[in-house]
Amino acid sequence: MTPHDITKLIVRTAMKDRGAFDLLYRQTSAKLFGVCLRVLRDRAEAEEALQDVYVKIWTKADRFAVSDLSPISWLVAVARNHAIDKLRARRPSGAPIDHAAEIADPKPGPESVAVMTSERRRIDECMDELDDERSAAVRGAYLSGDSYAELATRHGVPLNTMRTWLRRSLLKLRDCLER
Amino acid sequence: MSAADDNGRELTGDDALAADYVLGALDGDDRRAAARRIETDPDFARLVERWEEHMAPLAAGYEPVEPPAAVKAGLDARLFAADGATATSRGAAAPAGGLWQSLAVWRGIAAAAIAGLVLALAVPLLAPPPVDEPAGRLVASLAPQESNVHYFVVYDASTRDIGLSHVTGERDGGRDFELWVIEGDTPPASLGIIPAGSTVHLAVGEALRRKIEAGAVFAISLEPAGGSPTGQPTGPVVAAGDLRAI
Repeated sequence: MTPHDITKLIVRTAMKDRGAFDLLYRQTSAKLFGVCLRVLRDRAEAEEALQDVYVKIWTKADRFAVSDLSPISWLVAVARNHAIDKLRARRPSGAPIDHAAEIADPKPGPESVAVMTSERRRIDECMDELDDERSAAVRGAYLSGDSYAELATRHGVPLNTMRTWLRRSLLKLRDCLER
Repeated sequence: MSAADDNGRELTGDDALAADYVLGALDGDDRRAAARRIETDPDFARLVERWEEHMAPLAAGYEPVEPPAAVKAGLDARLFAADGATATSRGAAAPAGGLWQSLAVWRGIAAAAIAGLVLALAVPLLAPPPVDEPAGRLVASLAPQESNVHYFVVYDASTRDIGLSHVTGERDGGRDFELWVIEGDTPPASLGIIPAGSTVHLAVGEALRRKIEAGAVFAISLEPAGGSPTGQPTGPVVAAGDLRAI
């Protein structure tokens, strides 16, 4: 599946083509389940969130047409935003933020591994230009949905310092990714 | 404390808020407020989209994990259970008319199923394989213009077909929506009345095909029943959008 094929599947989904929607699910659900699991760190919640995400994709696929994002990026954004919303809506449980890898040995899904590999190399190079603690904070926020407050506690710095760190890091990252 | 980087630039105001939102670090209230702005403030929504683009490569860090099959089954039940329920109620109503009638109904369903099967077998032979389709598909989201009328449009060059997906907005009683194609400075040309329904299709003639493929704008106007009496839009434009290739 190339990005162009995924685009076609999303456009057909917008036209309420169930066959296209089923194929889109087969091609992309492993990636989006990975997103939900990483953010929610709870299998049952992640499974429910994944259903919500595909309900959104079915009902809002027409919005993709006016988006400039690549198809996979758009799908990941839908999943990530939903999972983070769910995470924030949880009652504050006081449970420690433990990034223990429930997902210790994930098997790659049937998606375009080559594209992901080259993107990953690029982002890794740019992250290497940040200092270690800051790149860990950026990854923690982006991949796991950690809030500024959680990150500040974990890294033992005031909230405003964390905000400043991250915003500076994002500027650097943007410059590097655009090079 | 400022967020200046080494060159003295800063992330400020809405740009900083958009970055915070996309990074995912806002707490619940701030996040909800930002999400509401995305829906209501197109400029802010564009800033968010730009940050989504910048940060998208970070998503390579998500390892794919196959979800259990039950998730898809549950999803289908949530989205499409209504279809199944309709079929069941139709089937349940049939025996009320007596045994023979219900047998006839079942024979009818069986015949329809066989016809459907034949079609399902024939269609892949008739239709071009999906992956080899010419890149002749254009899409447009016809966004509301001082209305709540929103359609999603796909133009397929190979079949000269326009598919319209109705998203929101109802026509006033006794009036029709008419679809127009506008290319450059030329006057709008009518593609016809949009039939009622959530997914409808319009055929495209040769002259309009060239306009569409030259990169045109689609617009929908509200017209008297049966369409514009003058051949040009007479009512308000309720939705419009430009075509882009996919």
